[in-house]
Amino acid sequence: MENLYIAATPSSPEVNFDFAQHRLSVRGESYPENAAAFYGDIIKSLRDYLALCTDTSITMDIALAYFNSSSTKMLFNIFEALNDAQRAGNKITVNWYHDEEDDTMLEFGQELSDDFTDITFINHAV
Amino acid sequence: MTTPLFVNDQLAFCEIARKHHVIFYYVGYFSQNIVAAMADAVKLKLEVSGVNGPTRRKLFSSFVEMAQNIIHYSADALTPAEQANNEIRHGSVCISENEGQYSLLCANPISTQVAEDLRQRLETLRGMTMDEIKQAYKESLRADPLEGSKGAGLGFLTMARDSREPLEFEFWPMEQQPDVAMFYLKASI
Repeated sequence: MENLYIAATPSSPEVNFDFAQHRLSVRGESYPENAAAFYGDIIKSLRDYLALCTDTSITMDIALAYFNSSSTKMLFNIFEALNDAQRAGNKITVNWYHDEEDDTMLEFGQELSDDFTDITFINHAV
Repeated sequence: MTTPLFVNDQLAFCEIARKHHVIFYYVGYFSQNIVAAMADAVKLKLEVSGVNGPTRRKLFSSFVEMAQNIIHYSADALTPAEQANNEIRHGSVCISENEGQYSLLCANPISTQVAEDLRQRLETLRGMTMDEIKQAYKESLRADPLEGSKGAGLGFLTMARDSREPLEFEFWPMEQQPDVAMFYLKASI
């Protein structure tokens, strides 16, 4: 499956899904005007890729300095897709990077790891 | 030589802004590009002013929520109502500081029908404790979006969570436009 790369803009993150290496990342800031439109195709590609994976180790790095409320919901959907893939027999590791001073980001990360318990969740304060 | 009137107006405006410790003010049309450019300036201004990290993040977050609410919901739109992308709508945002405490204020016209719905949602939020706000946030995160929402229905909850006081709001009738009200929203950070 073809890799997915979207360059960062001032209000949307860099998305680098290296499907061949099973290494995925989302980095930067996320407050696009229409988060559902921005993330819609990304989540679709992710699900298509995950559906092809069996017994695969997949790593997702998420390093977002800021995301708006509508992006929050989309991140939740990304985690849902990853969690489903873990249940289907893959091994998902998420590296969650957040500013060490940023409690909101830390709490949101904890929230995700509480909800999606099948995923291996590694918290990194930077 | 007498000072031209527009200079006097400008001086009076600047004087009011100075008195109220305004650090950022914009009135006009909001597009995503304008918001991203303003976000740059706001972020840098707060950094240069030595505001601590968590406060900066809260201010920045509420600023973006307010500005994007204007893009999505102001009744004064340059772009057609059915257009969901690259929307351009009118409103204003103001950030002011008083002894280390910040206020964010935004204003935009809104149809009176929408105003009623907003009033109910904001009244409910005002009656909630911080724990209840966080709980409601968690529930909304997992729920389907509200009807009519262009986001996740999480914007007010996000602002309320970061505000040290309940969100304040007002609706003012607009002369000559009985079906439109001016909506003011204030977050204290």
